[in-house]
Amino acid sequence: MAKMTDSAGGCVFRPSAKDLCAFLSDYAGWLFSCGATCVRLEKNVGRIASAAGLRADLSIFPRHLHITVSDSCRSFLFTAVSSIHDCPVNFAMNTRLSKLSWDIADGNVDFVCARRELEEITTAPAGDNGRLPLMVACANGAFCRLFGGDAVAMAVVFVATFAGFIIKQVMGERRVDQRVTVVVCSFVSSVLAAADGLFALGSTPSIAIGTSVLYLVPGIPFINSFCDVVDRHYICAFGRLMNALVITACLSAGLCGGMVMMNVGMF
Amino acid sequence: MFWQFFQDALFAAIAAIGFAAISRPPRRAYLFCAVIAAAGHSVRFMLMHSAGGGWHIVPATAAASVVIGILAVLVSPKTKVPAEAYLYPALLPMIPGVYAYRTFGALVMCLYNGGEASFSHYFYLFASNGLTCFFILLVMVVGATVPIFMMKKISFQATRHNSSL
Repeated sequence: MAKMTDSAGGCVFRPSAKDLCAFLSDYAGWLFSCGATCVRLEKNVGRIASAAGLRADLSIFPRHLHITVSDSCRSFLFTAVSSIHDCPVNFAMNTRLSKLSWDIADGNVDFVCARRELEEITTAPAGDNGRLPLMVACANGAFCRLFGGDAVAMAVVFVATFAGFIIKQVMGERRVDQRVTVVVCSFVSSVLAAADGLFALGSTPSIAIGTSVLYLVPGIPFINSFCDVVDRHYICAFGRLMNALVITACLSAGLCGGMVMMNVGMF
Repeated sequence: MFWQFFQDALFAAIAAIGFAAISRPPRRAYLFCAVIAAAGHSVRFMLMHSAGGGWHIVPATAAASVVIGILAVLVSPKTKVPAEAYLYPALLPMIPGVYAYRTFGALVMCLYNGGEASFSHYFYLFASNGLTCFFILLVMVVGATVPIFMMKKISFQATRHNSSL
C-alpha cells in the first residue's frame, strides 16, 4: 500500500480525532501492560497526538486507562477507556512501541501503516520459551554465589530454580492466577533447595534455600512504582507497589510452607 | 582480592543475562545488561572492600546504583532500547536477598518464641535485617532511576530512529 506523503516527503499522519483516540487507547493499553512507566506512557502518547496536530490527556489507573483526545481550543473531545492487558513484562514490545511513536512523530509512517504496525507488534510471538528455564536457573545459581553460597548450594539452587520455573511456565500457559502460581513455585523451589541442608551436602544450606526463590521477586513493578512516585503518579505507583507486595507475600508464604514441611530452621 | 573481584563481576553478569531474559529485552540488549551489571556490582565490591575498612553496604549500593543508572541512560541511545530495560537485570544482583530472608525468618521466630528474652533477640534480628534490607532497596531504586530523570532528553529519545544523540 502506498504511503500518504506531504510536500516535504514525510508521511501524513492525519487521522480523525475519533480514530486517533481509538488508536491511542490501544497503544497506551499495550505499552502500559508490557512494563512501561507512566512518564514514558505520557510522553509517547503526547508525541503521537502532537504529530496529528491534536492533544491527548491520560488518566492512568492500576487496571484501566482513560484517554481524551481534543484539539488545542477544546472544540471537541473524544474519550476512550482501555483495560490493562494481563501479559508479562516485555521490553522488546516496549522498545518497538516507543520506536513506533518516534516513527509517527518523525513522519516515517502514516496512520494506516501505524495501525498495521501496532497490530503486528502486539500479536508478535513473545519469543522462545524453551531456553528460559535454563537461563533463569543459571542466573539464580550465579546469584547464590554472589550471596556467598558454595558450589553445592549453586547446584541445588540451579535444580530448584529450573523445576520452579518450568512449573511457573506451565501454570502461566493454563492461565492460573499469578499469586497462586508464585505460592506453588516458591514452595516447590524451597522444598528442593532444602535438600542441601537435610542431606548435609554443602556448608551454606541457608543461602541455598534463601536464594532459591529469588527468581520470583517482582523487581520491575518495584522499580516502576518508584519511577511513578518521582513523576507524581501516586495512584499508579501505589497500585504497582501493592501488586509487588502481594506477590512478595505469596513468595514468602510458599517459602515458609516449604521450610515448615521440610522442618528447616532459619537460624 | 583480584580473583574475588573478577568472580564478583562474572557472576553478576551471568545473573543479569539470565534475569534479563524473563523481561524479554531485544537481543542486542543482553551484552550491555551483563556489562552494566558487572560494572555496578564491581563498584559496590570495590567500595565495600576498599582500604580503611570499606564502605557500609547502603552507601556502597547507592553509589553502584547511580553508576548503573548513568550507564543505562548512556547506552540506551546506542542500542535504541529504553534505559529501563537495562536497569532491572543490572540491579538484581544487588538485591538484598539474604537480608530479606533473615528478616522474614526472624519475624516467624518472633511469633514462635513467646519468652521475653528470645522474643527480644529475634525482634532485634528482624529490625536490624529489615532496616538494612529496606534501605538497600530504597537507595538501589533511587540511585538507578534518578539519572533517567536527570537526563530526560537522552532517556526518552533512545528509541528514535534518526536520533542524533
